[in-house]
Amino acid sequence: MKTFDRQAMTVAEEFVSKVEREARSSLIRVYAPMILLVVMTIGFSIYDSHFFSMKNLSNILGQMAVPLTLATGLTFVLLIGRIDLSVEGVMGLVGSAIALLVVNSRNSNDWGIWGVIVPIIAGLLFGLITGILHVRLRIATFIITYATGTIAAGIAVLLYHSQPATAKAQWIIDASRTTFLNIPLITWIAVAFFAVCCVILNYTAFGRAVYAIGDNEAAARASGINVSKVTIQVFVLSSFAASLAGVLALIRLKLGQVSLGTDQMFPCITALVVGGTSLAGGKGGMLQTMVGTLIYMELLNFLTIIQVPADYKKAILGVIIIVAVVLTLTRGRKTIAK
Amino acid sequence: MNQEILFTTENIGKTYGVNTVLQGINVEIRRGEIVGLIGENGAGKSTLLKIIAGVEQPTVGTMEMNGKPFSPASMLDANRQGIGMVFQEQSLISNLTVAQNIYLGRERDFSSFGLINWSRMNARAREALNKMGLKDISPKARVRDLDFAMRQMVEITKVLDIVSETANNRALILLDEPTTVLSDAEMAVLFEKVRQMKEKGNSVIFISHRLQEVLQITDRIYVFKDGRQTAEVRTEGADEYILYEKMVGRETNGEYYVSARQTVPGADVVLEVENMSLFGSFRNVSFKLHKGEVLGLCGVEGSGKEDVCGVISGDLASTSGELKVRGKRVKFASPGDARRAGIISVPRDRRDEGIIGILPISENISVSNYEKNAAHGLISNRRQDRNAREWVRSLSIKCAGVAQRVSNLSGGNAQKVIFARVLDSECPILILDHPTRGVDLGAKGDIYALIRDITEKGFSVLLMGDTLDECLGVSSRVIVMKDGLVCGEFDCPADNKPDQVDVVKLML
Repeated sequence: MKTFDRQAMTVAEEFVSKVEREARSSLIRVYAPMILLVVMTIGFSIYDSHFFSMKNLSNILGQMAVPLTLATGLTFVLLIGRIDLSVEGVMGLVGSAIALLVVNSRNSNDWGIWGVIVPIIAGLLFGLITGILHVRLRIATFIITYATGTIAAGIAVLLYHSQPATAKAQWIIDASRTTFLNIPLITWIAVAFFAVCCVILNYTAFGRAVYAIGDNEAAARASGINVSKVTIQVFVLSSFAASLAGVLALIRLKLGQVSLGTDQMFPCITALVVGGTSLAGGKGGMLQTMVGTLIYMELLNFLTIIQVPADYKKAILGVIIIVAVVLTLTRGRKTIAK
Repeated sequence: MNQEILFTTENIGKTYGVNTVLQGINVEIRRGEIVGLIGENGAGKSTLLKIIAGVEQPTVGTMEMNGKPFSPASMLDANRQGIGMVFQEQSLISNLTVAQNIYLGRERDFSSFGLINWSRMNARAREALNKMGLKDISPKARVRDLDFAMRQMVEITKVLDIVSETANNRALILLDEPTTVLSDAEMAVLFEKVRQMKEKGNSVIFISHRLQEVLQITDRIYVFKDGRQTAEVRTEGADEYILYEKMVGRETNGEYYVSARQTVPGADVVLEVENMSLFGSFRNVSFKLHKGEVLGLCGVEGSGKEDVCGVISGDLASTSGELKVRGKRVKFASPGDARRAGIISVPRDRRDEGIIGILPISENISVSNYEKNAAHGLISNRRQDRNAREWVRSLSIKCAGVAQRVSNLSGGNAQKVIFARVLDSECPILILDHPTRGVDLGAKGDIYALIRDITEKGFSVLLMGDTLDECLGVSSRVIVMKDGLVCGEFDCPADNKPDQVDVVKLML
């Protein structure tokens, strides 16, 4: 029998130092997007003096209303490690329905405020149904939300029989023209919604439960959190955001058609991921969402200013998604996909 | 300590399918008592704690708490009745703060109009932490920024806070290996807190692999072996040697492990590990595996033996050191690389890493060696089935046919399918990670005989046994690991197996 001496630094201590090192590097990842935003803003301003002009900045903020609203709702979805592909369809449905119910070019409806409330309730119902189907039947969210989103878009087209209505209600026209401090009203509405969601995420039990589920669903359940209920609530919140985005998009464009929502969701997911929200859940927050959305909007605006053709723009954004996802990945994972 | 009985179990047992993991457990916990549970890996200690904590339900038996029947439907239910468990794998939410973790799921106490009053929650958390003497932990610190000892303390604070809401110093706290990640100083703090809890009348059940700790902190010790409670020892007057003896129990005879057919390994070295280290897991591990040898790796969970095998099978990358296969230096980027070099492993976690349950037996056997059953790059189902039928016959796998899904087989037969795959790959070096875990007795015997068959043919086996008895019984030689280091080596010839107590002493 042979025995060997033990050595100075124990392997257990090595393990602790390894974990600490990882914690430090994850801290860097939290601040990286904010540094990137500052560097980008300064860099773009130096490259082209138009970029930092009052006119261009209010332009960026004006375009931000819809992405910020959607991204705010999607933050909750991503934080619990799910995805919501239905937001585009819900957005299109709500926008189209409002255009048909208020004073418009197609029919003689004039439901007034109910013309907005009823479509939003319909949008919320979609979130509720999506959430229930997901938790009861355990259908993966990427497929169930794609399905419900498609249904929503389909209903929208059926509603206007392929001939979308133009909203002509006076309040919509007024709302689209109103600005405050050179920033359009719809952006202020988006910012207000964002602020409310900040409070919900950071000051309610629901908000804590969202983080807990994303980080460790089993532990959350064991702590007495009703995971199913919170998950359904998250989808209702996300569909509310989509509905609100539908209202804002309609105010901007007036024409109530499904394409109000087309190609809106993935840019938001990009913004979230660039801001540092993890697709696997648990990591991210409202600050990250705002930073990510600003980075995305500034970049898009800058590429337009320097006249990069649309096709190249898409390719550049694609590369950015890959880089951002790689940076937010948890290292040391054995399997490729969750 | 007073004599008032707080908690008892009567004839508790737990069975998973055909596999009995716990049987006839009668423990009795008095108020203000610290009770230790010791035993080898898989002896059933953690299972018992999970049953008491309401995480798992017993198959048979009853429990009583405070003289009243106790059958918790969930962990929360157990909490409400004064029993709380601190888990081996920590269950805190790392991206929340200390206070948020302590009151997770109980935020209502701090809310008005749905909004949480953080300062009130933090103040209450401050009180709870102070009660535990944890003055230097901020309630606002994020758990991910705390070291392991602090996390452990927070977890204990959380459990105690939940339980004491109802228990009023009649709580029963279950600690499952709370010291594994702690340094000596941190451990001293933990023990101090545990003693304070005891002084107030609370009781504690404590599981640890480190016998010195168990002797140091407990009043009484239950010894578990193979899912049974084999001894009860008063800590006063006991020493490690007595515990070792009680833990290993009597030895199984050589016939069981087919020792008569144990090979005497040749001089050919097929695999050589030289000074291999993986930062944070093991260090300077060196050994040689010979042709036709069964080399056992002994050590408790966390000793690093699993990761050593992980590196050899290509699943993990070592930070330094060398690996040689038949004298040639190799570096594996994946288990596929290792297989091409002639190394293949039978994983421990059959359901997750071993079988592909929805595929039929035939495909599960050929999944590591498609080339063999392919013609012109396309898999020949005829060949694949013929090959599978041969294996089913030679390993006597009980099944309805090779088209049966593996998920419908019993544990032992599913394991044989994995063995068939591994043998079919014709890799001369096998890593067997707990090959008999969750396998019934008959199939165990078949697997031992199979190991003898293949070593007679010149295959070499690196074995991590399910029990020490098995590891010594099957191996020609064993290496003992502790805390990431190799701390001993024993020859295990068929006619002269080493004393289990000597091996256990090095492991713990």
